[in-house]
Amino acid sequence: MIAPLIKRDLVLALRSGGAWLYGLFFFAVFIALSAIALGGSLNVMRPLAPALIWLAVIFSAMLSFHSIFQEDYRDGNLAQLKLSGAGGLILCTAKAISFTLLSILPLIIATPLAALVFDMSSQTVMATVLSLILASPALAIYGVLSSAILAGRRGGGFLIVLITTPFLIPLLIFGIEAIEGYSIHGLVALEFRILVGLSFIAIAVGLPAAAAALNAHLE
Amino acid sequence: MINYLANPVRFLKFSKVATPVFGGLALITTIWGLYLALIKSPPAIEHGQSVRMMYVHVPAAWSAMMAYTALTVASAVSFIWRHPLADSAAKSFAVPGTAFTFLALVTGSLWGKPAWGTWWQWDGRMTSVLILLFIYMSYLALWQIIPERKRAARLAAILAMVGFVNIPIIKFSVDWWNTLHQPASISTPGAPGMPPEILWPLLMMVAAYSFLFAWLSMRGIEADIVKSRKSRSHQIPAAKVIIEDI
Repeated sequence: MIAPLIKRDLVLALRSGGAWLYGLFFFAVFIALSAIALGGSLNVMRPLAPALIWLAVIFSAMLSFHSIFQEDYRDGNLAQLKLSGAGGLILCTAKAISFTLLSILPLIIATPLAALVFDMSSQTVMATVLSLILASPALAIYGVLSSAILAGRRGGGFLIVLITTPFLIPLLIFGIEAIEGYSIHGLVALEFRILVGLSFIAIAVGLPAAAAALNAHLE
Repeated sequence: MINYLANPVRFLKFSKVATPVFGGLALITTIWGLYLALIKSPPAIEHGQSVRMMYVHVPAAWSAMMAYTALTVASAVSFIWRHPLADSAAKSFAVPGTAFTFLALVTGSLWGKPAWGTWWQWDGRMTSVLILLFIYMSYLALWQIIPERKRAARLAAILAMVGFVNIPIIKFSVDWWNTLHQPASISTPGAPGMPPEILWPLLMMVAAYSFLFAWLSMRGIEADIVKSRKSRSHQIPAAKVIIEDI
């Protein structure tokens, strides 16, 4: 049941004329703007680079959150999927996976490119990519949750940022700390385990909550 | 007790008695607690007069967390049994809870300046309380943005329950991270504790904040019941057309 839903999202995204790439453009623009704001000196930017990349990923994700359920809710597809027997949990899981593939994975792939313009060491790039991968389930699930809560609200852009911020702050804190921890302890750094734990909490708490929110809209 | 009060009519009967009692107790304990805290208790040896900030800061932080816990319980009741009174309760707990969280942050910052030499430090306790403030604000914003009351209640309840993850983080942040904020010195067994001339004013202020919270949320629930009744009675009746008129 999940695979066709994900496939549908991917096909829709591919036929959308590149709308799924806007997040990637935003990521590039954010990196460029912060480099300009910091004066362009590599010595200044190098220690800040992981934080800037994390911020670019989080803001780019936040701006994509609103569209997760928006279109399907408005044109009635969501109600049809519900009628055809897809439970809320299955819908939310499928949306979380397709959001990860369409909106977060391109950013993670682009991270080494961003690292080039900041002149980051290969070890830091590795740590940044790893921390982003471990945090991406939580990032996607809280996005699905907030999008499910605000499904069908017009102009929910700012509110979705307000709603997701409290849940993304721990990710940001431990994501940045994991990059520091990697340089000392490698992969066994405590912060990586905390990131995995945060992702598991998101799966255990966020997914059922998102399903319940979706059902509240469709009942 | 809760089953009995779950009926709005019986609740209003109960609150007619209970609300003034809570209000009066809040007034008395606030005056008595402030007298003990600001005049009678001695200044602390290390902190000097600035220790008096503790008597408004600690109870504010405690009641902020207590309010969120009450909010989560009410949200769970509203989510499981879909009881409209639980919605009113959850909504009414959130408003004083937001105020207490804000107060805890402001008083903590004012106390931090003389005690630590800084207004703000990004340590675990302060950051997690700031997150709590954000959660409260997004909870209240959700109530505002969704016009249908039942749906708003359900979605806000979901948000509140997910946000409860933050409460244990606040409680244990000072144990997990070795930070500037001092660890719990009252609830921890074996901790040095406090001398009675400091503990008593603090407990009196905790009682004052709790009664204030109870009074404010009772008033909030009453107002919400009255408001929803009024909006129900103001609904436009179905069109009434008599054949003879036509």
